[in-house]
Amino acid sequence: MDKKIVMPGEKIADSRIRAPNTFYEGEATFATVIGTLDETGRYIPLENPYKPQVGDLVVGMVVDVRHAGYEVDLNLPKGGFIPSRDIRVALQLGDYVICKIKLVSEVGDVDLGEVKRLPMGKIVRFPPAKVPRLIGRKSSMVALLKENAGGDIMVGNNGYVWISEKNNMPLLLKAIEMIDVKAHTSGLTDEMAKFLKSSR
Amino acid sequence: MGGSTDIQLIVDGKRVDGRAPDEMRNVRIEAGIIPEADGSAFVEWGGNKILCGVYGPRECIPRHGANPYRATIKCRYMMSPFSSKEEHGRSGPSRRSTELSKVIREVFENLVVAERFPNTQIDVYIDVLQAEGGTRTASVTAAAVALVNAGIPMKDMVSAIALGKAADVLLVDLGKTEDNFGQSDVPLAMSHKDKKLHLIQMDGLLTKDEIADMIDMAEKATEQIHEKQVDALKRFYENGGNENFKW
Amino acid sequence: MVNFMADSKDIIMAHVRREVMNKTLATGIRFDERGFQEVRPIDVQTGVITTAEGSAIAKIGKTAVLVAVKFDVLKPFPDRPKEGVMMMNAELLPTASPTFETGPPNENSIELARVVDRGLRSAELVDVKSFYIEEDKVLGMFLDIYVLNHAGNLTDTAALAASAALQNTNLPKIEGCSIVRGESAGPLNPKSLPIATTFVKIGENWLVDPTRDEERVAETSITITTTEEHVCSVQKRNGSLTKEEFLSNIDIAFKTGNDIRKILTR
Repeated sequence: MDKKIVMPGEKIADSRIRAPNTFYEGEATFATVIGTLDETGRYIPLENPYKPQVGDLVVGMVVDVRHAGYEVDLNLPKGGFIPSRDIRVALQLGDYVICKIKLVSEVGDVDLGEVKRLPMGKIVRFPPAKVPRLIGRKSSMVALLKENAGGDIMVGNNGYVWISEKNNMPLLLKAIEMIDVKAHTSGLTDEMAKFLKSSR
Repeated sequence: MGGSTDIQLIVDGKRVDGRAPDEMRNVRIEAGIIPEADGSAFVEWGGNKILCGVYGPRECIPRHGANPYRATIKCRYMMSPFSSKEEHGRSGPSRRSTELSKVIREVFENLVVAERFPNTQIDVYIDVLQAEGGTRTASVTAAAVALVNAGIPMKDMVSAIALGKAADVLLVDLGKTEDNFGQSDVPLAMSHKDKKLHLIQMDGLLTKDEIADMIDMAEKATEQIHEKQVDALKRFYENGGNENFKW
Repeated sequence: MVNFMADSKDIIMAHVRREVMNKTLATGIRFDERGFQEVRPIDVQTGVITTAEGSAIAKIGKTAVLVAVKFDVLKPFPDRPKEGVMMMNAELLPTASPTFETGPPNENSIELARVVDRGLRSAELVDVKSFYIEEDKVLGMFLDIYVLNHAGNLTDTAALAASAALQNTNLPKIEGCSIVRGESAGPLNPKSLPIATTFVKIGENWLVDPTRDEERVAETSITITTTEEHVCSVQKRNGSLTKEEFLSNIDIAFKTGNDIRKILTR
C-alpha cells in the first residue's frame, strides 16, 4: 500500500502545513485523528465527526416546528435551524430536506438556507469521513447508484443520505453498506458497477 | 496490601502465574466491535475482559451542564456482577467505580481536543465483564482505542499498565493476587509521543528510586501495548470492520 | 401514519416511514433482503466469561447479548423454604446503543428480564428444588443479561443467550454449606431449551426477527416462546392482533424455535 495509517499524535510533516484535524508543535505538524498519509504527504482522516462549514450541502429531517422556523436533525449534537421568513413553503414535522449551511456560530449553532423539500424516502446514516467515496469522483458513484437502483439519491456532507422510495431499496442499502466497508480500497467504482450489474 | 500473608509471590524468580518480573500477561485488543457505537474497543488482558463504547460528540444532558468553550467528557466505569470468581456482585456504581471513572476521565481530558466541539458531551462507557487485576489500566487502554475509532481528535495516544512490588521485587503488570497481597501497586498511564503521566496512583511503601525504576519499566511496557492498540485499529480500517471477531 | 415521535428522544440513526417500508415489503422482501419469516444469521459463543459458572454470547444479525450465570448460597423465600431461587436481571448498557441511558433499570430492561425469565421458568428448565442445601440455605442462581449491541430484537437474542448459557453452566461444588469457587459438581443439564420468536406487524405483513427500523414502524409486536411441544411464554407489546394471527404466529414460532434449537444442540 502506498498509503500509511497514522494515529493521533503522529507527525505528518516536518513543516507547518494547513490541514484540518492537525496541530503544530515547533515547526512540525501532527495528526489528531486516525487517517491515511500518502506519498505526497496528503493526510486524509479515516474517522471524523462531521464539522459543519458554511456552504456545505446537508440532508436532514424536520424535528420541530416553531413560530420562528424549523429545527432540522442533521446528525449533529444540535439541530440546524431554518428561519420561517427564508422559505415560502410550509414544512411539516418529519419532512426530509436538503439545504445549504448559511451560518455556523462560535458555539456550533447552524443556520440553514436554500431549502428544498425532498419527497418520500428514507434517510440512512453514513460515516461523514467516507462521504467523498459515496459521492465519487465527479459524482460518479452517486450516478452509478441512481442508474442501477432506479431512483434519486442525495448525499449530505453531514453523513445523512436521502434515498427516494422509487429506488430498489434492499439493493441500494446493501450497496451503500458495501461502500462503507470498502471505502479505503481503490477501484471501488468499478467493483460497485460489477456488483450492481450482477444483482440486477 | 502490606505483604502480611503467607502467600509466596515470588518463587525462584518466577511469579505466581509463572511470569518473569518484567513479563506482561497476554494482551488482545479489538477495535470497532460495537457497530451501534461511534467508537468501540474490546481488551482481553490476562483474565480481564473489558468493553468500551464511545458516543459523541452529542447533545449535552442536562443542557445547563454544557460548556460553551469545549466538549464535556463523561466517563462511566462499571464492574459487571459476574466479573469476579467470588460471589455475585451488585449492579450499579460503587465508591470505587466512581473514583475510577473520574481518574480515567482525567486521562482523556488532557488528550482530547475538546475545544472543537463546544456545548457537547463525549461519553466513554467502560464495562468490566471479567476482572483479574489491572482493570483501570486495561480500561484506559481500551478507551484510547475506542476514542480513536470514534474519530475524536486527540493530541496523543495513551497506554496504561500497573506496576508493583512483591517480595521486594519490582513487577510489571500486576495480577490480582499480587495486587491483593503485594507490597505496592502503581497503576499509570503514559502518552506515546510525549511520555507524560496522565494517570498515576499508588499505595504501599516505595522509595523514590523504586518509583523512578518503575516509571522506566512502565515506559517499555506501554510501548508494547501501544503497538497492540495501533495494530487493532489498523486491522479494523484495513478490513473495513470487525464483524466476525470472537469474544 | 408517521411514527417519529415515538423515538424523538432517540438519537436518530435512520429515518424511515411505514409507507416506504411497505412499498418494499409489497415486493416480498425486506430492506435487508430477508424473507418475512427469515431470521438473521445466528452465532452463539459459549464459555466466554470464565469468572461465571456459565455464559454465552448470542448474536442475531448485529444484535449481541451476553448472559452470565452465577451461584451464591442464599436464604430461601419464606413461602418456599425448600426451593432454590433463580434471579434474572437485564442491563441495557449505554455502551451498546445511543438510545440506552445510564441509571437504574427502566421499564424496557425490566420487561426484557421478565420475559426471558418467564420463558425459562415455564419450560421448567431448571429444577429449583434440587437447589436445596439445608434448612434456611439454598442455592441462588443469578442470570445477568448484558446487551452488547442493539440492532433490533433484543428479546429473542437474550432468550437465546440465556438458553445457551444454561446449557454451558456447571453446578457449583458445595462443602459445609458454602460454595467451593472454581470447582464444579457437574453440568446443570437444562431439561429443555425455550426459544423466543418475536413478530412485528407492518402494514398487512407479519415479520419475524425485526431490525431496529422494523421495530420503529411496527404497528403490533409480540414475542412467543416455545419448547419442542409447548408455548411457554407470550408477551404482546404495542398494537393488537386477531386470534387467527396469533395462532398462525404460534405455528411459525414452533418452526423457528426448532430450527434455532438445532443450532444450540449440534
